Amino acid sequence: MRRIHLLAGCAALLLNAGACAAEPEFSGQVRTWWMDPRANGGGPLAQADALSPGLVAPSRANGTLEAELHASGHGLTAIGTLHGQRDEGGPTSSRAFFNELYASHDAWGWSFSAGKKIVSWDVGYGFRPNDVVEQETRRTLLAVTPEGRAALTAEHFTADTAWTFVLVNPTQSRAALGADEPALAARVYRRDGAIDWHGFARWGARTHASLGGAVAWVASESIELHASARLLTRADTLAIDPTLATGALVPANPWQPASVSHPVQALIGGTWTNEAQVSLLAEVWWDGTALSDGQWSDWAARNDALARLAANPPTGLPMQAVAGNLAAQASAYGASTNLRRANLYARASWQHDKWQPAIDMLYTPADRGRLVTASVGWQGDRVRIDGGLRAYGGPSSALLAQLPTRRIVYLAGTWSF
Amino acid sequence: MKNFGVAAIAALILAAGGARADDVSALLKAADKYRMSSDNMQVETQISVFNTDGSPDKERRYTVFAQQQHQSLVLMQSPAEKGQKVLMLGDDFWLLMPGSQRPLRITPMQKLLGDASTGDIATMSWAEDYTGTLAGEEPCGEPVQKCVHLSLSAARKGVTYQRIELWLGKAKNEPIKADLYVQSDKLAKQARFVMDKASGSTPASVTEMWLRDQLTNKKETQVRYVGRKEKTVPQAWLNPMFLARNPSLD
Repeated sequence: MRRIHLLAGCAALLLNAGACAAEPEFSGQVRTWWMDPRANGGGPLAQADALSPGLVAPSRANGTLEAELHASGHGLTAIGTLHGQRDEGGPTSSRAFFNELYASHDAWGWSFSAGKKIVSWDVGYGFRPNDVVEQETRRTLLAVTPEGRAALTAEHFTADTAWTFVLVNPTQSRAALGADEPALAARVYRRDGAIDWHGFARWGARTHASLGGAVAWVASESIELHASARLLTRADTLAIDPTLATGALVPANPWQPASVSHPVQALIGGTWTNEAQVSLLAEVWWDGTALSDGQWSDWAARNDALARLAANPPTGLPMQAVAGNLAAQASAYGASTNLRRANLYARASWQHDKWQPAIDMLYTPADRGRLVTASVGWQGDRVRIDGGLRAYGGPSSALLAQLPTRRIVYLAGTWSF
Repeated sequence: MKNFGVAAIAALILAAGGARADDVSALLKAADKYRMSSDNMQVETQISVFNTDGSPDKERRYTVFAQQQHQSLVLMQSPAEKGQKVLMLGDDFWLLMPGSQRPLRITPMQKLLGDASTGDIATMSWAEDYTGTLAGEEPCGEPVQKCVHLSLSAARKGVTYQRIELWLGKAKNEPIKADLYVQSDKLAKQARFVMDKASGSTPASVTEMWLRDQLTNKKETQVRYVGRKEKTVPQAWLNPMFLARNPSLD
């Protein structure tokens, strides 16, 4: 509670300082989209649902209507969203929230801000090891404004250098996991001609120190290369009790929060664009916070053991118990932002007048899984239309081929004002 | 008045024959004054794109902070692009997409987007970016007048067009028309310039630039300079990481 007062107090102080005399500016957009996911017939969730129909919520087509208003002026910046969603044959849910709401003020050559703010860092596209504050979800179907985090920031800019310090999630419990963890983060940026250098440091209340660096280099008229790496003391993950026998049934989800020690995250990539505005992007990354190949092998072995148990159940064993244990295996998908440690990503897009067709693929060499997305966008003066298809595939043993969704079709319309 | 002084000197040089690089530079400086009356400007620009049949295709609005030493900050103001920003520091470019709060380093090729590229909007001078030769004198413009034809080559790699054939009015050195060539030496666009007239102490200036696409769709783009004023932005605004901030526009 004391920390909430601290944040509110800082915001009030910045406001009273009368940060900026510019006239308020308003803009926004109304967006609607429809998504039709098709459930996967394979994988542990599908097996669980087959054993105990109704245990797993079915994939349903859904429609969403969202209004987003941006306002800034007098030292305040706000992005507010009204969000309503209706699942086919299901209830309607709605939510109102601020993506950003912060006060800012410049003093002594520094810029200070307090409130809910989006602070996005790093140089990658498919994965950003050093996006240590916002920890934005990557490779989303639609480009949506992320929801910022409670933060106090201090920034200093010169012509070629920028320093940023962020106290993020100051009001959260020290036990909060993942991106909700209270932390102090810093970035230093240096421009050196065709090269941008970035240095990052983060101290998390539980996960302690991490250090990172990134570089972006415009190598020629058409080519940009980038790389990013981060060394962590610890990272949050999920793990199953290692003493649990492969096919043992347990009454509760055996996948529990855990931490991985001294992982490394690294990415290297580049873009090429020609005069006709055809653009190619390729990236390779390693995410040491993802479950290891050994852990996934154990996971697959447990799935197989549970499936065998379901096929030849001992007398009196309720199928719901096996189904529940199989369904719990899907928790492992959320252990990290990447399923596999090694990942390849490629994207081709073309900006042609008002149209932008694109196709991309994420490939996991460890199990030859693939995630392919094809999309097309049309941009008018105020209206934008997006549509596409995302398909999960690979051999049946590939993790991407075992996710709950097999493919998603989507269509979105945006009206800007 | 200053424009006419430079124009008179340039005319004398041409009349004497054998224009040197310095003379071409003087002509370009004179021509630049019709778009950039000061080294540091804030220019409100409106872009209207027309289909080949003349029907309107799209409109965009931009606020451009054109600063000395090849530094420009472009703020997209149209609803479709609101929040998008492009920073150009010499040969280096950055883009901020709305909602991302993360400036991206982009290549010169990525800057060449759209019917009027960011380079068309943000670059308003030739003298610092091009060297050239005097190709001759020939009639041009509507109504037809005597023009000076200059062949210009990029003096640095970051410019949008590698070669420009430029025609200036012989009497006042105002820009009349230009052929704009990209890296591969393909003709990308043809430009023509619309001038207003000097009134009182206000010198004549370019009010519109019309660009006809020759590379892809043959569409015509009208670049209207809606407002101009002297403005020197704080140094911090020209730091790429500052793009994530909201500069106050007064």
